[in-house]
Amino acid sequence: MASASSTFDTAVLTFAHALSTVERTFYKLPGSAIIERYVRSSHQNDPGRTFLELIIFFLVVRTVLQSRTRADRSNPKNFIEFTEKEIDELVADWVPEPLSQPLNDVEMAELAAVPVVAGPNGPHPVLVNTGKPAINLASFNFTGLAGNEHIKQRALETMRKRGVGSCGPTGFYGTFDVHLQFERDVSEFLGTEGAILYSQGFSTISSVIPAFCKRGDIIVADRAVTLSIQKGMEISRSTIRWYDHNDLHSLEEVLQSVEKERRKRKGPLTRRFIITEGIFERDGTMTDLPRLIELKQKYKYRLILDESFSFGAVGRTGRGLTELYNVQASKIDMLVGSAAIGLCAGGGFCAGSNTVVEHQRINGSAYVFSASMPPLLSVSASEGINILRDNPPLLTKLHDNIRAARVLLDQVDCISVPSHRASPIIHLYLRNTSPDSLLQPPSSIPSGKPSNPASPIPRDAPVFDIEKEERLLQEVVEEAMALGVMITKAKRVRGLEITEARPSIRLAMSSALSKADTEKAVNVVIKILKRKFR
Amino acid sequence: MPSGIFKKKSSSTLPADASSYLLALSQADARTRNKVSSSATSTISTPALSLSSSLTASTKDTFLTQADKDDIENIHGLSLPAKPPTSDQIYRAVHTEFGHCSTEEFRRFSSHLPNTPVPKHVDRDPPYYVLLSTYISYLILIVLGHVRDFLGKRFYPKSYADLMPSNGYAPLTSDFDSFYTRRLKLRMNECFNQPVTGVAGRTIQILDRYSPDYNHTQISLGTISRALNISSYNYLGFAQAQGGVADAVEVGMKLYGVTTCGSRLTGGSSDLHTATETLVAKFLGTEDSLITSMGFATNSTIIPALVSKGCLVISDELNHASIRFGVRQSGAHVKMFKHNDTNALEALLRETISQGQPKTHRPWKKILVIVEGLFSMEGTMVDLPRVLELKKKYKFNLFVDEAHSIGGIGKHGRGIADYFNIDPEEIDVLMGTFSKSFGAAGGYIGGKKCLIDRLRIRSYSGVYAEAMSPPVMVQIIASMASIMGVQESELNHSVSSGGSTLRLASPDSAYYGPITQRFLPTWLPLPYELSSGLEGRERLRRLSFNCYYLHRGLDKLGFIVYGHPCSPVVPLLIYQPGKMIMFHRMMKDRKTPIVTVPVAYPATPLITSRIRLCVSAAHTKEDIDEILRACNEVGDVLDLKHGISKKERWTLDEVCGRAVELVNLPDHDWGN
Repeated sequence: MASASSTFDTAVLTFAHALSTVERTFYKLPGSAIIERYVRSSHQNDPGRTFLELIIFFLVVRTVLQSRTRADRSNPKNFIEFTEKEIDELVADWVPEPLSQPLNDVEMAELAAVPVVAGPNGPHPVLVNTGKPAINLASFNFTGLAGNEHIKQRALETMRKRGVGSCGPTGFYGTFDVHLQFERDVSEFLGTEGAILYSQGFSTISSVIPAFCKRGDIIVADRAVTLSIQKGMEISRSTIRWYDHNDLHSLEEVLQSVEKERRKRKGPLTRRFIITEGIFERDGTMTDLPRLIELKQKYKYRLILDESFSFGAVGRTGRGLTELYNVQASKIDMLVGSAAIGLCAGGGFCAGSNTVVEHQRINGSAYVFSASMPPLLSVSASEGINILRDNPPLLTKLHDNIRAARVLLDQVDCISVPSHRASPIIHLYLRNTSPDSLLQPPSSIPSGKPSNPASPIPRDAPVFDIEKEERLLQEVVEEAMALGVMITKAKRVRGLEITEARPSIRLAMSSALSKADTEKAVNVVIKILKRKFR
Repeated sequence: MPSGIFKKKSSSTLPADASSYLLALSQADARTRNKVSSSATSTISTPALSLSSSLTASTKDTFLTQADKDDIENIHGLSLPAKPPTSDQIYRAVHTEFGHCSTEEFRRFSSHLPNTPVPKHVDRDPPYYVLLSTYISYLILIVLGHVRDFLGKRFYPKSYADLMPSNGYAPLTSDFDSFYTRRLKLRMNECFNQPVTGVAGRTIQILDRYSPDYNHTQISLGTISRALNISSYNYLGFAQAQGGVADAVEVGMKLYGVTTCGSRLTGGSSDLHTATETLVAKFLGTEDSLITSMGFATNSTIIPALVSKGCLVISDELNHASIRFGVRQSGAHVKMFKHNDTNALEALLRETISQGQPKTHRPWKKILVIVEGLFSMEGTMVDLPRVLELKKKYKFNLFVDEAHSIGGIGKHGRGIADYFNIDPEEIDVLMGTFSKSFGAAGGYIGGKKCLIDRLRIRSYSGVYAEAMSPPVMVQIIASMASIMGVQESELNHSVSSGGSTLRLASPDSAYYGPITQRFLPTWLPLPYELSSGLEGRERLRRLSFNCYYLHRGLDKLGFIVYGHPCSPVVPLLIYQPGKMIMFHRMMKDRKTPIVTVPVAYPATPLITSRIRLCVSAAHTKEDIDEILRACNEVGDVLDLKHGISKKERWTLDEVCGRAVELVNLPDHDWGN
């Protein structure tokens, strides 16, 4: 017993000795006093407190150690445990779909029929497909700046000073003097405080929208906006409300319903945007800008307007809708335009106040994460603006050509033309009254009730047979091409767009063509249409 | 040191003498050109290097600006080579755009040694006090920022108007979202968005500016100064306004103009697009390829055409923003794995394939693994052999973004597959950009023909976005052709040049070889040095040497550098945010100014702020010496050397003197 107790004593002694050694070493450590003070003050003679602290400490350690890539395990309800062998079997069983389906015959034929120009593009290009020159009603060359010798010369000089590529994103030595010059040129041209240049027209608005619209913000958008806008909205993760295509009454109703909703929920003030196009890519209709601005100001929304197809085409000198309606461009919060389409150069821009522009220099992903535009394209765009400003006749000629084409097209029964009379792109729909009546008649009589703003599909959605219409239109396109007129369908990525656009032929007018040539080409198209659909 | 004719001419400052200097230079060049074209087999005559003519054409005014005078006087030591060329040395490039370097020793091939393991990337950790002070720096910045916001909102409400709701409008940015921009980035704005002019080549001309109001506005001083450019993605040095490629672009631009008016599918396609795509496919060693007009858009518009709902994208956590942008649009499910960790990738694959889609547990339709060849912020290289092993086992599709690796690495400059000598067709989707190595713009996708055809009609780019501009395409064709080499006939033949015999074809590669004339447009003039592929090969070898030299040189000096030594992106770790601005400024204010790129959060983790140096084939060894010298001096002042221990370090002289030895150490012996 005694020996047992003495062994016990020695053990206690050794333990106490070890403890004091640990303590001494601990106090020798730098910063130990701080830890000691912390432990003392948090303990405060209450083991419960220390216990709590320890729990928190272990929670922190656990969070830090948790693997980021295996988040699913944290949701044990949905996680099935497998043995390694079972996993191996599952892996062996898994048969993925092929990465891409090969093209079917129709798609193959359509790809083969895509017009390819031999040499420079312009009003009368030579087609690789036919080997013959054609009148061009397909390419975007509204004011005929493509192939302009003066622009070429200036671009060449720029290339001889600055090379071709910019070799860097704008943030890192990719901002060239000529980029800044273009930004100044376009903002002076439009009359805004500033502008920012993106290196691709298509990517401009899909980057502008998510730069401003965040989760929780409200976007009210037209139901027929083009794909780049749809994608921008998708990325923004904002709440989207839709109004009927180009129907400002519908817009007002939606704006009212949003306001009602907000009052009901008593939510905080969020950013609100109206997003629409000046001239719609899908059908060439035009927005009533003065009314739109009235509404936006009344309901205190910011307006993001895509002028890709109206800048460089509409108005006396091509300033776009703002010039046509005589509205100050500064009233549009974010005015997006395309230098690739309107100025026959490359890239796109967003004009607006300095705050708007500077915000994008940090938050516009396509601006921040992409190499800047080749300087020579930026100079070409600047020269394009100079030419537009100094040569109003260019625009007059374009407008004459549009008018001449519309006069002819409006007389044709088998097609309908949704586009605005001033639009440089003219869409042709097949009228549903074709004799073979295979196309379905329009759906039931409009019910008069408003559409659901939360859904991009309108209540009385027009019904059309995409496949059949596409096929018929493609036949028209190919026949026209054989007859020396280059036209194209408005191509779509079917299945990837929010709503399907109705198949159409898209004619692009140009002031580089004479009125006679325009009429000749349009007549060829009309003749084919009449022959096929009479 | 300039001597002989150079010294005599350069000592004068008057415009008349300056133009005569330029004249002499261009005459000398014309002479050398005649010599070359008479000795070469090529019959295409090209305009002489038109330095003087381009100056008269592009500057309307006859007087010289201060910047031009600086160039002629060589104030910054950048406009003339350290050693004047001897009579038998022929340079076709302008020294400020593409440095003159003829030392055969300063060359290296970049390729993976077969049967050696892929070197693992070793992150060197700095001492704890560095980490601690970095955290404290940020803490101070954040606390100060909040204090300033708190006081500012009360005392200067005007300057906060943009952040407050006004007139019924919510602010465009909430003060929380913009805190980082306003309070941290603003302090170092002088490092970003620096306007430049001239060619982004070996040197770059910066438009001097200053800020009178703590970086809120930057005001241009109206002067231009030349700086050594270690920041542009000009890996192969093709950013040139003079020379064979630029001459080809001029011819192409005169013929085609600057635009093809529209998207590829709706009237914007030209024969030049077809020719470029054929050539790019040949360059990559894939069946077919397609090109788009913007690098960012290549990812953001094509990934949605590859995957959709019900598919899984497994993405490296450090993938570029454009990939994330594209994946988010696609609607596919996304998972990320730890950067460059193939074990984590395998674990994730096993888990996701066995679990199937979330909730429903249905099998995934497709799994697409997206990695980058070389990562733009880290300079790390993907372990492609291992990923391909996994691909065989787990049957996923592989998408490799080669934005930084194409042209830059591999014995034939064909990127990551070439570097590992792997059949490029084993990778399902090869994506890359032309804005880096080729001095052009835009991007490409290479792969099987059926995939590319599908993407042509299904990607947003082909349908909606503008087609690539002709001058950009000519730049791509000419620069790629000069890397590949053009054969007169199908036969392989060797040519002798400069005493050494180099074979035109690359018999060591089963996938890449020279092209024949039929791949090039008939009007395209390519001088002999380009069409023979000799210059392209020189560029590849110079780039590889420079990358290894800078990377290992910095390492030996004691800095912490990330990434693979053959990566043209060399991240130099700085840590403390304040030192980044200081580093940038001290490098720029040297006698030979050097422009650098600081990268910080959110592009990198908060504490590992870094300076990203981008090496180019246009740099000479002396340039890299200069950069090392500058880094060494600045690094001592700023206490940046936290890498290898003091005993192992080399002195600057040692590094510069033993450069060739340093570069030629095999990868697997390095760092062990």
